[in-house]
Amino acid sequence: MNENEIQLKIQALLDGELTGSEAEDLRARIETDDRLRELHARLTAVRGLMDGTELPRTLPLPGDFHWSQIAQAIEREDRETKRLARPVPRANWLLRWVMPLAGAACLVLLLTLQLNAPPDLGILLSSDHELELSDDEIDVMTYNTGDDAMSIVWLDYAIDLRPDTLQLWLD
Amino acid sequence: MSVSRNNPPMNRYTVLVAALLFVSGGYVTAQADPISVQARLVLGTSKEQKDQMEVSAAIKSKLARVFKWKHYYELNSKRMNIADAATKSAKLSRAASIKVNNKKNGKVAVSLFSKGKMLVQKTQNLKPGSHMVLAGSTASDSAWFIVLSKSK
Repeated sequence: MNENEIQLKIQALLDGELTGSEAEDLRARIETDDRLRELHARLTAVRGLMDGTELPRTLPLPGDFHWSQIAQAIEREDRETKRLARPVPRANWLLRWVMPLAGAACLVLLLTLQLNAPPDLGILLSSDHELELSDDEIDVMTYNTGDDAMSIVWLDYAIDLRPDTLQLWLD
Repeated sequence: MSVSRNNPPMNRYTVLVAALLFVSGGYVTAQADPISVQARLVLGTSKEQKDQMEVSAAIKSKLARVFKWKHYYELNSKRMNIADAATKSAKLSRAASIKVNNKKNGKVAVSLFSKGKMLVQKTQNLKPGSHMVLAGSTASDSAWFIVLSKSK
């Protein structure tokens, strides 16, 4: 093993790059050989001096990297400009104007229907019962069954129950 | 270079569609559906009359639960198919006739006429299976009933 190989081995030992047995053998040789011990001490001192003194170095970017970024940005802008400059289809124009007009027409129709509803002039009996009498002389009683299955208006009035003669004749 | 981007039109159309649905829903609910109303002229009496047709058991049980008479005879019956917001008339006896108006929200307005003169008008929400009864006494110990019911 020449001088250069010995130096590389000791450097590898200091860098922790030798296997366990190789490191043991080399350490044993360093213990017994003054020249190797001196070389080991020198390399150890140099390693200690170099620790923390190396400057960080970044890898340079290739020159076309920046150009490719610029080209992609320009293409993106062009695509966006073309998309926004596309003419509005006729259907969209119709939707934009017809739909609000239709909504407004529906609102007007609803309001008109509500305004034209006849006013409630009858007597309010309950939530949805109304009674209107045309003759104050007639006594009236009202009755609703509990289950609301039957509502009764009782009039103190006798009506003629005889069948209609014209209807009998038609039958 | 900066390009301003308009808001997508989806939000505006969503609001419009929702408004249209709301308005059309209100319009639909404000309308009345065509209905079929059965009007029966019924005589309630304590005396059995074998020549008369008895009213249906369902109506008889309902009337007998409230009134004192034992027998209920159907003197006349008329069915009226009434379109939305329309009015139909039916003559039930020589003197008595009714007008039924199909109002919105399931309500019906029934006007009772005797000899051409309106006696009373009753408006209510008439559900299928329930009855509106206009009634009164007669000269003898009996009563008349006009029973109105709505088909499903």
